[in-house]
Amino acid sequence: MMELIAVLLLLVFLSMGFAGAALADGMLPALIAGQARSSWRRPIAEAARLLTTQRIRTEAPDALLWFLAPTLYLALAIVGLAVIPFGPGLVTIPSEVGIVVWGSCEALTIVAVFMFGWSANAPLPLIGAYRYVAIALPAMLLSMFVLIGAALPAESLAFTEIVEAQRTVWNVVRQPAGLILFLMLGLAISLRGPFDYAGPEDLAGGTTADVSGPSLLAWKVARLAMLVSVSAVTATAFLGGYLGPLLPGFVWLALKTALVLIALVAAGNFFARMPPARMMGVIWTMLLPLSFLMLLAVGTELLLWG
Amino acid sequence: MGLTDLLFLALSAIAIVSGWRVFATDSMVRASFLLLLSFVAVGLIIVMLAAPYIGVATIFMMAVEMMVMALFMVMFMMNPAGLNPMMMVHQHRFSIAAGVLAFAGLTATILFTSFPEIPVDPAAPIVHDLGIELLGPSMLIFETAGVTLLATMIGSVILSSRSGRFGMADQGSRPPGLELDGEPAGRQPEAGGGHHHHHH
Repeated sequence: MMELIAVLLLLVFLSMGFAGAALADGMLPALIAGQARSSWRRPIAEAARLLTTQRIRTEAPDALLWFLAPTLYLALAIVGLAVIPFGPGLVTIPSEVGIVVWGSCEALTIVAVFMFGWSANAPLPLIGAYRYVAIALPAMLLSMFVLIGAALPAESLAFTEIVEAQRTVWNVVRQPAGLILFLMLGLAISLRGPFDYAGPEDLAGGTTADVSGPSLLAWKVARLAMLVSVSAVTATAFLGGYLGPLLPGFVWLALKTALVLIALVAAGNFFARMPPARMMGVIWTMLLPLSFLMLLAVGTELLLWG
Repeated sequence: MGLTDLLFLALSAIAIVSGWRVFATDSMVRASFLLLLSFVAVGLIIVMLAAPYIGVATIFMMAVEMMVMALFMVMFMMNPAGLNPMMMVHQHRFSIAAGVLAFAGLTATILFTSFPEIPVDPAAPIVHDLGIELLGPSMLIFETAGVTLLATMIGSVILSSRSGRFGMADQGSRPPGLELDGEPAGRQPEAGGGHHHHHH
């Protein structure tokens, strides 16, 4: 019974989150640029335009993988959401290794993006795909270290336990830098802003350079779904998930997810992308040691005062 | 036959068929993805065997591993994109012998081992117990494997770095010859021309 309710809540959460993500993605850039009159109809119009645009194909693509990549990406976003509790005991897949399931979703997302770029059999998508793998793999590594830091106080790998352990203090207080590092991963796996090395402008679209029409729409839909998913995971692991006074847990989770989502979309607009080689250096020599330090700090704190 | 049996049979079929296709496909990248699919199916079977951490971690690790394999192809292979058809099997006689031996050995093991039939207690703290085992009695094995993997990684980075096994990376690469030890294929750069300066 609880699982059935959780499935229904998952559908509501995903559709609401998706609508919100599409709106934020469409309207925030205009708002940041100072144009107050950006229309909420723009994302819908854009989707309608893509549905009617001509499809193009490259020479000898791997048609099956090219078709499957957006589906896999969307499926991973949904699986990621399914391990998140919407309230005490309200979780679609009650897994005791929730953060490992989420880690697999992150890793397979990188595979999906690579698949999408590689199977086009064209230079720009291929460069975008390889470049993305090189940046996203270490970004995923640091996200796993900060997630272990979030799991340590709960002494469990399950998201339900991680939320309950935050009744005293939210994980963002324990490891503020961990939240920032996790948001960076969020940018990387939802392919946006400073961490989007797959489909950026300097490669004339990269992985999406030779995709048009409904296929491009499917890819964009999957990207936004992953944005919702990673925002919800951030809210659950660092901001106390469904915990909060007065309002029901589901509403609290939705509000926190919305906050993270807007922060991610805004960050995608405010921060510029570094050259890939420099970003590699930053991740391996600065961010990864920082994530070790966060893990060490949480461990020391729990040993001494836990 | 219950739903669990059907699920097990379906996952086994996926694991076996995709595992076979790894050797029948003609591209490195497709082979990696098929192997990944096979491992995902095996990982889900392990989850069904009430070992959630090992099963999900298998999927997680294999996803990363196959991706790293694709990345390493760029560093080591002559056909980095992997879309050009290539022969994926070699050393046929040796492989056939090794395959037959491994199959016979594993089959014998399965047939002559008496597997435990004790169902796992649903309330048992499986993940917790595994953690205690890995970082307690099995710590030495675990850490030895970890250090070995680290050494392998450092070795491969050195091989692919600037002063790698094909000489300095910034001195330009020579394409392989059309015959064994032959002249490099393709157009030859003109001596002293372009932006390439020689200082003697």
